[in-house]
Amino acid sequence: MRTRRARTFSRVSLLAASVLVATGAWSARAEDTTLTVWSHEADEPAKVAFREQAARDLEAAHPGLHVKITWYEKGGLDAALKTALPAGQGPDVFYVEPDQTQYITQGYIVPLDDLVDWGKIYDWARQAWTHDGKTWALPQEAYTDELYYNKDLLKKLGVTLPESAQLTQDQFADLVKKARAAHITPIAQGVGDRPYPGAYVLAEALLRKLGPDDYGKLLHGQLSFEDPRVVDVFAWVKELAGDGAYPRNFMTLKLGESHYYFYQQPGALMLPMGSWYTGRAFVPVEQGGQPPDFPIGIMQFPAMRDGACNECKTLAVGASFAINAASRRKDLAAAFLNAMSTPEMGERWIETIYLQTAVKTNVGSFSGPYAGYFDELMERQKGAKYFIGMPIDIVTGQCRDSFVQVMNSGFPGGLLPVDQAVKLMNQGCYKG
Amino acid sequence: MAGPSRGGTPGARDASWGTAALFLGPAVALTLVFTVYPVLRTFYNSVHFVGPQNRTSFIGLRNFADVLTADPVFWKAVGNTAIFSVVGTVADVAGGLVLALCLFANAPLARACRVIWFTPVLMSYVVVCIIWGWIYDYDWGVVNLLLGWLGLDWLQHSWLGEPGTALWAVMVAHLWKWLGFNMIVFLAALHALPGDVLAAAELDNCGWLARTVYVILPMLRPTVVNLLILSFIGKMMIFDLVWVMTGGGPLWSTETVSTYVYKRAFDWNTFDLGYPSAIAVLWFALILAFVAAATALLRRRERLEF
Repeated sequence: MRTRRARTFSRVSLLAASVLVATGAWSARAEDTTLTVWSHEADEPAKVAFREQAARDLEAAHPGLHVKITWYEKGGLDAALKTALPAGQGPDVFYVEPDQTQYITQGYIVPLDDLVDWGKIYDWARQAWTHDGKTWALPQEAYTDELYYNKDLLKKLGVTLPESAQLTQDQFADLVKKARAAHITPIAQGVGDRPYPGAYVLAEALLRKLGPDDYGKLLHGQLSFEDPRVVDVFAWVKELAGDGAYPRNFMTLKLGESHYYFYQQPGALMLPMGSWYTGRAFVPVEQGGQPPDFPIGIMQFPAMRDGACNECKTLAVGASFAINAASRRKDLAAAFLNAMSTPEMGERWIETIYLQTAVKTNVGSFSGPYAGYFDELMERQKGAKYFIGMPIDIVTGQCRDSFVQVMNSGFPGGLLPVDQAVKLMNQGCYKG
Repeated sequence: MAGPSRGGTPGARDASWGTAALFLGPAVALTLVFTVYPVLRTFYNSVHFVGPQNRTSFIGLRNFADVLTADPVFWKAVGNTAIFSVVGTVADVAGGLVLALCLFANAPLARACRVIWFTPVLMSYVVVCIIWGWIYDYDWGVVNLLLGWLGLDWLQHSWLGEPGTALWAVMVAHLWKWLGFNMIVFLAALHALPGDVLAAAELDNCGWLARTVYVILPMLRPTVVNLLILSFIGKMMIFDLVWVMTGGGPLWSTETVSTYVYKRAFDWNTFDLGYPSAIAVLWFALILAFVAAATALLRRRERLEF
């Protein structure tokens, strides 16, 4: 009998202990919260370190919070989001770029006007994400379209840049011819995996020739591509393509390969690219980065004859972050966005990524191995008038398709005459 | 005599509705959710304009009219898909048959060749695309290097970058990937042929070529027909390889109906699913009509196995 009682007691005790342990564990789990973030740019160590730092800072400020960042490349991230968001799933916070307006129209992200501290973000950058009076994502990365060049090769060709670092369109055409004659690829560019790089030279030339107002009208379908000024620019780019400005494998060369083409093998004179170029290039050589002693320089895109705004250049927002409408932790998600946007983090961004940012900062002087580069980048911004937004961020629908097929690839690739290119662009874009 | 199910243990045909529902339920539910609903939704979307946040408005057959009368890229995609489906199918099946006959005839290194020829079937499309992207590269690709080595520099091309060659280059990559599959199917069919018929042909001094043409091929007819139809249907829906290798370019020269539907749905940043749904419905009807016609035509003569 005593044995039976003891057995019963021990069983009850065990049950009670189990309940206590389970309850304790449950309460511990209930206190812990995980904020999930999906981010692009897994292959850019400086950006990975930056965002992980913001995550750790937020965790330190919120005991019990765990910020889990899953790193992707762009294609994988977009594919995962396309599956997760319609199902009401997905992370609390995710990476977006300004051309991805479908997330707004589909209601997958929430307005951030009352969630984020906008006093720390430049107004022009906020505008890139303002639609119908609401702001939908936090801009983090800002960049300008730049024309990088190899200083040694330019010297070898006997060409000296003027004080403004801007050649005229005729001088630029001559430079292309000289480089080709010296068996140097003039412009390292490829459109094998991106819908925009092939249009850098053409788009920047159009901006300078037309000025920001008419250029904006052109991209919004309010100005015909048959406008004589537009045809002039197309004819000039056709001449460049005919003179062998681009590599023979232009149509299949991928973005990362074009960088390597420029600074390593086989080497090229120029590389038109967004200033985010450094995120990939300023990594160790063994990781595919640019050699530390590579003589990189930045020149302005050429001044166009009778250009309405030869001091104009494109300024755009890149990496941005949005909050999933299905998130149950929107306040914490907003806290993560704010943690990435402090002035200190803005300075950290510039000093480690060597790239402009949408976050207001007070960096007066630069240090580190790439300080010279960043000084030159800032020098190229002096007196610049900015047009906000890359063409690919602006055009939609059939116009986007025409832009990708014609302005990005077929035309600079030498596959189309000017009149046909202009006609195809008008069919896709012009609403007049 | 009682059947096996009439004893103490109930057979499959004696199962109650509850048991049947238990076993069939998950499969039926999955089919309804992932196949039936998307198909019905596509039909629904095709007669609607799908606006932001899935707000729809009925527009009747306007999408279909626009597709058929005012969309040159659609017709370009139809043309490309037709070329891919017809030429690719014939090449796939004929090539697979030739390889299978080589192995059946115990050609030298047959075992190794069987493994080598079948290996591409096991590769993912992405890997295939990367390999062929390298092979076709203008500067360092094997094809152009080989042409240069042979002194045929004038034949060097940017194979994926020129409208005249891109579609054919993609087709070759596709052929390379799937040839091994057809080869294995043919090989299985060859080994299943009645040995006495082949032996009789041999006794009659029938040569290798005559035996192949007059004995083996007629007996392989059902397999040939099945593979032709399966291959044709697969190519009518080709997407992955084209998307990764060329994205439909240059200048729409490799655009297929599937890549165009995807672009209209997800790549144009308009998110109107109505128009691409109309294209999908049209294409579905065309494939269905083809399969029905092929089945009706061949039903009396062969038993199709797809």
